[in-house]
Amino acid sequence: MFHKVLIANRGEIALRVINACRELGIRTVAIYSEADRDALHVRFADEAICIGPPRLAESYLNVPAVISAAEIADVDAIHPGYGLLSENANFAEVCRASNIKFIGPPPEVTRLMGEKDKARMAMKRAGVPILPGSEGVVASVEEAQQIAAEIGYPVIVKAKAGGGGRGMRIVRSHEELPNLFHAATTEAANAFGNGELYMEKFVENPRHIEFQVLADEHGNVRSLFERECSIQRRHQKLIEEAPSLQVTPVMREELGKTICRCLMEIGYQNAGTIEFVMDSAGQLHFIEMNTRVQVEHPITEAITGVDIVKAQLLIASGARLDEILPAKIEMRGHAIECRINAENPRKFTPSAGRITAFNVPGGNGVRVDTAQYAEGVVPPYYDSLVAKLIVHGRDRAEAIAKMERALSQFIVQGIETSIPLHQEIFLDPDFRDGHFDTSFMERFLAKRS
Amino acid sequence: MKPEDIADLKQLIEFLKENQVAEFDLDRGDLKIRLKFNAAEASSTSLGDLSRLLGSAPAPVARAAAAVTQPAAPVTAPVEAEAGLHTVKSPMVGTFFSSPSPGSAPFVSVGDRVAKGQVIGIVEAMKLMNEIESDAVGEVVKCLVSNGQPIEYGQPLFAVRVS
Repeated sequence: MFHKVLIANRGEIALRVINACRELGIRTVAIYSEADRDALHVRFADEAICIGPPRLAESYLNVPAVISAAEIADVDAIHPGYGLLSENANFAEVCRASNIKFIGPPPEVTRLMGEKDKARMAMKRAGVPILPGSEGVVASVEEAQQIAAEIGYPVIVKAKAGGGGRGMRIVRSHEELPNLFHAATTEAANAFGNGELYMEKFVENPRHIEFQVLADEHGNVRSLFERECSIQRRHQKLIEEAPSLQVTPVMREELGKTICRCLMEIGYQNAGTIEFVMDSAGQLHFIEMNTRVQVEHPITEAITGVDIVKAQLLIASGARLDEILPAKIEMRGHAIECRINAENPRKFTPSAGRITAFNVPGGNGVRVDTAQYAEGVVPPYYDSLVAKLIVHGRDRAEAIAKMERALSQFIVQGIETSIPLHQEIFLDPDFRDGHFDTSFMERFLAKRS
Repeated sequence: MKPEDIADLKQLIEFLKENQVAEFDLDRGDLKIRLKFNAAEASSTSLGDLSRLLGSAPAPVARAAAAVTQPAAPVTAPVEAEAGLHTVKSPMVGTFFSSPSPGSAPFVSVGDRVAKGQVIGIVEAMKLMNEIESDAVGEVVKCLVSNGQPIEYGQPLFAVRVS
């Protein structure tokens, strides 16, 4: 087991990793920017090192500064959390060269999954269902038009190096393809330094469903079932739940097996999430893989009883899955997470500033992951996630009742938060009945205004 | 607190005073101590000596990083309070070296005059030696870090009387 781990992140996920380390008896080293001097991850770590000014590029994304801090603190391993450097294969390589264990998959696997067209082909070879589309990148407009004619419009062109919705265009006809193709190439080249595109059949208003997996370093992979994350606004998830009402026990079992076989072949290690879209016929299609812990991992922890972050630490230190997980993972009850953001609940403008009052709900089945506190400051430099409110009930109805109760007791003053928005969503009959897809928020907001 | 703890504490306070330590934090789980001394008496000291005295000495590197843990503000405050004193701060996290190579003379010592842009130390980060330049003209009145010490971003290195 590791003696000392550096957490290359901030906010609630840094604290989440610190908690897991504490419980395993591992010493922790926090890094922070000048804007986070009074942050809780700094206070609760055994050691803390300031690595730069507030700007991300000069602090949390500054690879030499992070590695240098890891060296002077003499850590065995670095946990990257999510976002920031977590899916940066180059960073994982520097860790390896510096003899520091990167808690995540090997850089080669991260790189493979980062090249979306290659990840798609790898999944296809292993029998994971993918959407009809191009084999690898599309070289020209003519080739794009030919493939689109075969699979039928609408199609979507996506950047091979993509992410965050950039370098992506939905194409509905043969005529508009050339312009949209060029626009996506230019955008991708500017954003990622690589203008290559691939093409997929476009699914209208799909559901977003993802599978959580854990893989050890001895060739074993297990599925921790799915999460449904269809409640999103502009590709930002707002509410997640597990299990999905749409995934049948047979699908869960069979797709789980296929995914595990595929990841074994690829040589995947540590925690990962495979994202799917579900079409109106209830079919799942692979979209991409996230090679890190997810924001919404607590709902899987709630229904499986598995501590995913502890599992990450144990796996990276060489443990086998059968030492970490029970022989058969049971699914128990229903869990829902709300992402509480520091933003105006109607206009979605960010709301940085000092928190004056902060009451966190608790009680049976309620978990709050946050690094905020009364008198705490939400700096304007970073993402707006203030807290994750997670509830666990014996079924979805009980989980909803718990969430409504907990939201009403979650008091944050001094800044604006998305709590009122969440309260409204939980009153929506479609949401309560489970009738939703990724277009839910658009309809909900249109109805509201 | 047990009588022997009180005796230890007395000895510790004596030692801290002797070495002009400004602030001292100890957290052993069962015992928490926080001591603050008159700022005028403060100056930097070797944490290695403290650990030896305390017996429960953490590993050398943990100790070094612990020195980094406390933000440098308590040390700078009294220095900056003096009019005309400027602190040269580290532009990066890493290990500080006061001389160009082991055994050679330090770049600067107390009493030396420094010019703007003059190299006054080295910070090693990821095996790269980064020369640190003075951003002020004047006389070095205090060295706030020692050779081989781990330092964080923004940590004060030298106090310079600007002229």
